[in-house]
Amino acid sequence: MSASSSPGTRARSGTNLRALSDDLAGAVERAGRSVVAIHARPRIPASGIYWRDGVVVAASHTIRKEQDIAVTLADGTRAQAQLVGRDGGTDIAVLRFDSAPTAKALTLADRAADDALRVGSLVLAVGRPGDGGVTASLGVISTVGERWRTWSGGEIDRFVRLDLAVYDGFSGGALVDAEGSVLGVNCSALARGTPLTIPNATVERVVDALLTRGHVARAYLGVAMQPVRLTRSLAERLKLSETAGGVLVVMVESDSPADRGGLLVGDVIISADGHDMAEPQDVAELLGAERVGGKLELRVVRGGELKNLSLTVGERAQAGDARRRGARS
Amino acid sequence: MTSALAVALAESPLHASVAAELEDLAARLRRITVRIHTSGGRYDGVGAGVLWPATSGRLVVTNEHVLPPRRGDAAFVESVDRSVVEARVVARDRDHDLALVALPDLPDAWPPPATIGDARAIRVGEIVVALGHPFGVGGALSLGVVHAAPNGDDALLAADIRLAPGNSGGPLATLDGAVVGINCMIARGLGIAISSQVVARFVTEAMTEP
Repeated sequence: MSASSSPGTRARSGTNLRALSDDLAGAVERAGRSVVAIHARPRIPASGIYWRDGVVVAASHTIRKEQDIAVTLADGTRAQAQLVGRDGGTDIAVLRFDSAPTAKALTLADRAADDALRVGSLVLAVGRPGDGGVTASLGVISTVGERWRTWSGGEIDRFVRLDLAVYDGFSGGALVDAEGSVLGVNCSALARGTPLTIPNATVERVVDALLTRGHVARAYLGVAMQPVRLTRSLAERLKLSETAGGVLVVMVESDSPADRGGLLVGDVIISADGHDMAEPQDVAELLGAERVGGKLELRVVRGGELKNLSLTVGERAQAGDARRRGARS
Repeated sequence: MTSALAVALAESPLHASVAAELEDLAARLRRITVRIHTSGGRYDGVGAGVLWPATSGRLVVTNEHVLPPRRGDAAFVESVDRSVVEARVVARDRDHDLALVALPDLPDAWPPPATIGDARAIRVGEIVVALGHPFGVGGALSLGVVHAAPNGDDALLAADIRLAPGNSGGPLATLDGAVVGINCMIARGLGIAISSQVVARFVTEAMTEP
């Protein structure tokens, strides 16, 4: 913290809070040079962060148009951008400027290391909800949890919840520390309005995927399942534990990876890759993006007998391919 | 937010000096903040006001909605020392939600007027404080940061700060204790204040009118 030189600063007792205030204002100023306003929905524009050369990251739910999107830069000028791709699962969208802005108009976000996320640390949410300049709210990080999966299936490296007020321009804006380094992309649409931050590592991964393929791969089997219990006599005969359960396959999509692998309606999946399966969620958790194209070894009960199946994990078709029209080669 | 900040700072060696700084600031702001009663000594219509510097006489600035015309031009102004004087409203500006109250000759014990800051020099993210009587609780301090800088001469100052009814007419100030705005409303959770230069212009115009 730097000592303040403003007039009115009083000796000793008057300096610490003032120094913090100066730091916070400096942090907003610094981060604000990388935060843009994106005019891609009616009424209130949303925020975005200048993430890589020519590339802006935004919150997918705030982007309602795909082409010729007006973007207000940090110096107040406007530039035009196109949607490259979006991932509804993590609510991240990637835009590319038609021509990269000058360093004076916009600077790349300075990102903090992921271990900078600490419960209780003072943070600012910095946004730009239009042409009126940068905005800020102050709070603390209230939760730093494990890797989690959003309702819409996105994988996020850490669960980062904030204790601060959400105003216009929050989503797509930057969470910054007292030095002005970016800790992640803010989003209020992933958990019923709760202010969350998508950490830098997740943003990087999704940006990579969107820039190279235009979408984020999702592993896919093509089955519907429900939990079941096996009878004690069956479990004894098959030498399974007495409390053995599994997931019953109640639907197999035609020509899906499950279909091609020989899985039938009525099979009870006991284990997958050696892990016991008790809930459909247990199967879903094995289906990260990295599994696409790989093998999944299933142990199933079919007609009272054990059977091993080897499935090749597929990739889920992207909903709304039209959304990627703005993608460039 | 402020409680979380307090917790975060509680273990810190900085805590004592920060707490002392805030206590001192609150004490100074309480002296330049008044309580306004509109119907005798009764506590209906409690609002806040700021002892505003004047070239002659003693003035208080508050919100027009604290002293609406239907309540008449008489107002009872209470200082931090609980001294109450009868005053009169000398000007109202409904568009800017401002009212000017002229105080009679006061005992020397009345505190001097506020120091006025420049709202146009304020930085987004800078810590600001509000003093008022939220829900009738006298002299309460709240702390937050500047949310958005005022744009243009008439613009309002938006702060990420917790205000409540009773903060109306009270000061929004920097950590120096300089008043940069008069709190006037809460919009979508944001504390909204009338910028100090707008208030100064209103006071100047009101005092030069015949």
